[in-house]
Amino acid sequence: MADRHLHPANGNSAPSQFGGAAPFFVGLVVALILGWWAFPQMLFSQKHQPVRFSHKVHMEGAGMECKSCHFLREDGSYAGLPTTESCAECHSEPMGEDPEEARFIEEYVNTGKEVEWLVYQKQPDNVFFSHAAHSVDSCNNCHEFTETELCSQCHPNVAETDEAPVYYENKLTKYSKQTMKMWRCERCHANPEHFGTTRSSNACYVCHK
Amino acid sequence: MAVDRRGFLKFVAGVSAGVMVTPIPWKLLDDASIWTQNWPWIPSNVDGASTYVSTVSKLCPSCVGMKVRLVGDRPVRVLPDDNHPLSKGGISSLAVAEAQMLHSPARVKRPLKRAADGAYVAISWEEADALLAEKLAAAKGSLACVSGDETGSINDVLSAMTGKAGSSNFYLMPSEAQPAAKAVAAMGGEGQLGYDIENSDYVLAIGANILESWGTVIRNRAAFKATRPHGEEPAATFVFAGPVQNNTAAGADQWVPIKAGTEGAFALGIAHLLIKAGATADAADFSAFARLAGTFTPAKVAELTGVNEDQLKDVAKALLKARRPLVITGSEFGQGTGAASVLAGVAVNMLLGGLNRKGGLKLLPVAGPVVDGAMTRAEMLGKDFVAYMSRINAGKDKAPAAMVFYEANPAYALPQAAKMAEVLAKVPFKATFTTFLDETAMLCDLVLPVPMGLERLDDVATPYGSGQALYCLARPVAPMPAHVKPAGDYIIALAGKLGMDLGVGTWEEVLQAKARAMGADWDSLMDGNVHVSSSTVNAQPAFGAGMLQKGIATKAAEGDYAIAPVHKLNVGTAKTAIPPYNNKTIRRWELQGKELYVAMNGATARKLGVMKHDKIVVSNKSGSISARVNIFEGVMNDTVAVLMGLGHTAFDQFSKGKGENVMQLLTVGFESGTGLSVWNMAGATISKA
Repeated sequence: MADRHLHPANGNSAPSQFGGAAPFFVGLVVALILGWWAFPQMLFSQKHQPVRFSHKVHMEGAGMECKSCHFLREDGSYAGLPTTESCAECHSEPMGEDPEEARFIEEYVNTGKEVEWLVYQKQPDNVFFSHAAHSVDSCNNCHEFTETELCSQCHPNVAETDEAPVYYENKLTKYSKQTMKMWRCERCHANPEHFGTTRSSNACYVCHK
Repeated sequence: MAVDRRGFLKFVAGVSAGVMVTPIPWKLLDDASIWTQNWPWIPSNVDGASTYVSTVSKLCPSCVGMKVRLVGDRPVRVLPDDNHPLSKGGISSLAVAEAQMLHSPARVKRPLKRAADGAYVAISWEEADALLAEKLAAAKGSLACVSGDETGSINDVLSAMTGKAGSSNFYLMPSEAQPAAKAVAAMGGEGQLGYDIENSDYVLAIGANILESWGTVIRNRAAFKATRPHGEEPAATFVFAGPVQNNTAAGADQWVPIKAGTEGAFALGIAHLLIKAGATADAADFSAFARLAGTFTPAKVAELTGVNEDQLKDVAKALLKARRPLVITGSEFGQGTGAASVLAGVAVNMLLGGLNRKGGLKLLPVAGPVVDGAMTRAEMLGKDFVAYMSRINAGKDKAPAAMVFYEANPAYALPQAAKMAEVLAKVPFKATFTTFLDETAMLCDLVLPVPMGLERLDDVATPYGSGQALYCLARPVAPMPAHVKPAGDYIIALAGKLGMDLGVGTWEEVLQAKARAMGADWDSLMDGNVHVSSSTVNAQPAFGAGMLQKGIATKAAEGDYAIAPVHKLNVGTAKTAIPPYNNKTIRRWELQGKELYVAMNGATARKLGVMKHDKIVVSNKSGSISARVNIFEGVMNDTVAVLMGLGHTAFDQFSKGKGENVMQLLTVGFESGTGLSVWNMAGATISKA
């Protein structure tokens, strides 16, 4: 019977050997570090815009507005990003000393190639998002948004940045980390007050085609 | 410090608990679900400004006008064109698929030559040019040419080339325009029959599936819609007589069931009642016609057609009461009818004073040929390809040394299709100008890819069924694939190589000449406008009573059951097969998986001892098809309705091997008097499989 000790032979009690719950907490911390720090590092790759673009220079230096490039077309569709042709209206020749501008002209303007800008909030094709329906005019029926405030509800405010933010691409889905998920749309779409005034219900086919 | 088992388990428990409060499982699950939706073959939207180009469909037999939405130079959507007289805000289910069909897997991407082992090998255009020129030169006039384009000036070029090669064997694929042309000729008239549906207050369609597939169907639908303003009384009555309650019957105010192929007898029954009520017409052979119509008493017509006598009398009364009645005869499936049936329909219109009258039947002017040596339209429509093939089969005519097809698929589309393919096999050299690798291309020695209508400059001149003469251009709205060539310029150059002078240098010259012949302004046409003419041909036609008497069918079809093919544009044509997305529009009990369903009414099913879903074999001396049974009370007794456009053995996975081709069962006969080949009255026996 003497051999059938339930406790280690060295006489240490169990709580003292591994601190009782200590391994559990070690595992917990490891998992938390892995999940909240390492996992995002592994899941997203970092990308940079193909051309270094300064919104600040264009807004402050050239006196342009957001809608100079990001405008609604006559048919109500959204132009989104400017084409190389529209950039070339000013940049057919270098306007400054920045070598990046010279590279842009050489690689894109002179060849007519479009810049493959990385869009932080690009929605998948199964989502129909109309910028026209979410215009300042329509939202300001009740709100009092400035253009920047309204755009910033979904997009990062880059108006005063000299460098475009890093683009994090999900390695699995290939979407941007900042692509809006449905819950963010539902902040307004599932809000009964919005439905009353905008008649934009939360029904599937309002957005999904 | 050693880790014992218990400690390790505690660690694992900690990791497990910790992981659950991190994004790992939840984010991975969410991302995995998104990942499963992003397969590389799913097409993606193209960003960019939209532009719209007005053009006309060369793919859809209705020649519907359409607006193509482009992003950059890529067509992304086909939309109705409010300003086009053949669209009027409507679009066909075939035309709407054109933007997608540009990317069809069945498209021929480069010239193909049949190698010695029977397989196709891709060759260069230079090699293809040399082979075609060599074979056509060697044929020395033993040439036949078949065109599947009924409305284009390409027929001027093809018929001129055939003629200059020393052959008169230029043919159009069978359609309703041919019996109509024969009928006009028999009446001593001129021009093309036109139907002013828009201005009629009573439209009687006998067999003609005017709201689904007959003639300028989208324009017909627009006229139908215009007479039915929402919330108001309809301004016109539409009546359909035919064996199946098809979409025209479903939309019409009245469906008069008559047996397949008895349209002429039904029209003569109406004529009999009209003459009895005092109707007359200023035609030389009126009395001969009246004598003929006198024999078509309601009782006889009821026996021949299966119509209810009272219904026949009611229709005749309503026609007499209407201010601007119009009678349209045709085939429910757009082909195979005889000239007598058209003559009978025209006769009723003449008795109603409807010839060249607003809301009536018109004789529309036709432009003459614009290429040296080309056939006139009347000459083209007078040629009968099915009769020619039958003569070759019977040994009465020699098979030509070479046959050239232009956007035609006779190996699938002709009646007794299997037999026709056998006859084609007797032709030593066959070449086809085609967009898709169809059944005929699979029989050819040389396959030459041509651009689709959206990628080429082409034209449409007064399609059959139109109420007015018109001319418009199909303009290239999308870039042409690298290795395809437009046929117009190619054939003109080929003729030059063979030493033929067609009197034109380019395809555009041909179109410009045609525009002038039609009285149209070229610049306006190139802007997407349509030239429309309200002029008609003045004529005092006769009834063609002699021809009518010989041609009118008074015999029943062979076999115990009649076959009623049903034509729907969404299923595509012999040239297109089923457009990929249109597979979704085929109904559950028309095609289930790869099995064809045929429709019959409850009484017929009881007689046969079959129930819904039972497997049957429909056969006659021409062939047989197996199918399952669907019960539909909108089919006449002893009649089986069979959807056309299925049973392809070529094209792609969206069409190949689905269902059966009803053309296998349609037996060719010849109309007395005109000698025209007819196949609108097929009978069959049905047995349980």
